[in-house]
Amino acid sequence: MQKNALYILLADDDEDDRLFFKDAFEEIKIQNNVDFVHDGMQLMDHLNNPDNKLPDILFLDLNMPKKTGKECLIEIKKTERLKNIIIAIYSTSSSEEDIEDTFIQGANIYIKKPSDFNTLKKIINEVVTVNWHYHTSGLNRDNFLLRLK
Amino acid sequence: MKWIPNFNSSNSLRVIFVIAVFILLFLSSIAYKHNQDLNESSKLVMHTYEINIQLERLMSAIKDAETGQRGYIITRNGRFLAPYLYSRDKVNASFVTLKKLTADNPIQQQNLENLFKLIIQRFVSFENCLKYSEPKTYDKRKLDNYMFSGRIQMENIRFQVDKMNDIEKKYLEKRLKIYDQEISLSPIFSISLFLTALTFILMAYRQISRDFERLKIFNKKLLISSGLMAESETIGKFSTWQWDLDSNKIDYSDNQFRLLGVEPNSFIPEKESFLEFVHPDDKDVVQASMQGIIERKNLPFVYYKIVRPDHEIRHFKSTGKLLTDQQGSKILLGINFDITDEHLLNIELQERNKELEKSNKELASFNHVASHDLQEPLRKIQTFISRVSDADKAVMSDSAREYLSKIESSAKRMRVLIDDLLLFSRTNTTKKEFIKSNLNELLENAESELTEIIQEKKAVITTSKLPKLEVIPYQIEQLFINLIGNSLKYSQLGRIPEIVIESEKVLSADYPDILEQTIKKFHKITFKDNGMGFDPQFKETIFILFQRLHSKTDYPGTGIGLAICKKIVENHKGFILADSDPGKGSIFTVFLPD
Repeated sequence: MQKNALYILLADDDEDDRLFFKDAFEEIKIQNNVDFVHDGMQLMDHLNNPDNKLPDILFLDLNMPKKTGKECLIEIKKTERLKNIIIAIYSTSSSEEDIEDTFIQGANIYIKKPSDFNTLKKIINEVVTVNWHYHTSGLNRDNFLLRLK
Repeated sequence: MKWIPNFNSSNSLRVIFVIAVFILLFLSSIAYKHNQDLNESSKLVMHTYEINIQLERLMSAIKDAETGQRGYIITRNGRFLAPYLYSRDKVNASFVTLKKLTADNPIQQQNLENLFKLIIQRFVSFENCLKYSEPKTYDKRKLDNYMFSGRIQMENIRFQVDKMNDIEKKYLEKRLKIYDQEISLSPIFSISLFLTALTFILMAYRQISRDFERLKIFNKKLLISSGLMAESETIGKFSTWQWDLDSNKIDYSDNQFRLLGVEPNSFIPEKESFLEFVHPDDKDVVQASMQGIIERKNLPFVYYKIVRPDHEIRHFKSTGKLLTDQQGSKILLGINFDITDEHLLNIELQERNKELEKSNKELASFNHVASHDLQEPLRKIQTFISRVSDADKAVMSDSAREYLSKIESSAKRMRVLIDDLLLFSRTNTTKKEFIKSNLNELLENAESELTEIIQEKKAVITTSKLPKLEVIPYQIEQLFINLIGNSLKYSQLGRIPEIVIESEKVLSADYPDILEQTIKKFHKITFKDNGMGFDPQFKETIFILFQRLHSKTDYPGTGIGLAICKKIVENHKGFILADSDPGKGSIFTVFLPD
């Protein structure tokens, strides 16, 4: 593990999605360290454990058992130690309601899970290479949902 | 309180009657006095005549004595002397009577005294006449003297008697005159009084008959209105009851008994009798509201059930008010409505509402299924296909490669279907915010959304000025995208697509069959193209979900686009029409309310 490698955490209950995610990271060859949790409870336990390093970017699925992504989002933003983690919502749903809600709750970006592996690679590449400090300061509803040209 | 008519003439009537009675009492006292006066005057007359008679009697006694004495003097027969001898007694008797009669009159007493002296002198003359006529003592000169002086004395006596009679007569006349005056004054007075009393009584009679007429009219009105009330209670399925709080008397209308399932007046209502009909579950509520009506003076609607004697349960709604009349007596007025029919209807409605809510929820969950659960496996299929690399494909058989590409296109088509279906269901379920929007701007947005295909087909879109309307902006934009997209998609091969968009204001009255008549004005927006058109027999079916006129290999599509257009227009209380001349083009007409 290199010193300046990004630490990425994906919270998703779907095994296939975790597999795609892992493969995509391997293929884009960015120095990184990807971890996975399987549900909301596990995610919160992981984050709240002071022995664990906090992720640079958290990819958060909304539809998860035990604790939904939205509940986790609210909890993270309420917790002083966790509230500065960059959160990318990573969901199958593209409903206006979900986008609106997560934007209000303070997520940094909304990614609709693509149905093409190459698109997934592009998205991940885009997200991890973005200058988050710059992006966050100019965040608005229009650029919240990630659209690839 | 104005609800009781005013009959306060009884007080003035009472006053009139009291006055009349007093007048009559006064009149009768005057009549009594008159009677008394009459009595008095007749007594007076009697008195005068008695004196007169006694005086005459006195005179005749003296005359008898004179006649007897003369007879004796001529005949010397002692028999003639008898009247003379008795006359003295007669005179004395008359005198005593006269003395009594004139006891109240000193002048007459004096006259009587004089008369008495004259009579005594006369009798002395008699004695002397007798004495000098006796043969023994005969003296012709003295006899003549005494006879003559007796004659003069007689005249004096007569004069005195006449004088006394005159005095009595004058006295009587004077007295009678006074009485006459007194009496002559009163008849005019008493007649006028009588007339006054009569007037009062007539006035009272008039008032009474007027009141009576009014009462008759009120009574008639009352009868009519109570009849109408009873009828309307029966028709309207309601009833009334009154509770006089002072006398504690309770009255039910006939329909109250009927609503309770019994014959009218089959029992005498009491405070507790209504509660006996109330369903055990609701007794407390009804009792509390009855108490509340007295304290708060009116009663908000109370809903409860009653049980009829045949165990049928009816639903009631009641209200009431405390009324105070002019005399300050308190009457509790209550109205009961039998709302069983409405209640059952309500329950049915509620059930239907629940069903609707349920189906709405199902729709929402379908939405979720479509948007998430259905997309997830599809997305994975597509992702897995995309992971089959070109290197992998190179080692596949031709048929395997073809199958893989067919799987890919099928998955794509399914994706389009799901997306369109989602769009259609969202058109209905998402919140509808009407915002005043410039339709030209929305059209521009739609065109920029379609830039790629417009440029590809070199289409010419001509737009006239569109109105500003209260619309759901993103839906109208979608409508424009779908309509223009439709025209571009079904353009004629080898002909540059031309689309003309025009707008005009129309009256709903001109389109009675298709437009909502409560909205007066509509905007008619037409989309005319020079595309391939369609058979006009399908001009209605093309708006139905999943209806397609072309095979999906020629023109890919889901058959949802125009259904969405119809839904959007309906959301705006408008209407959409399609017509076509096959081979020349089609025209879509959208009506949107002003």
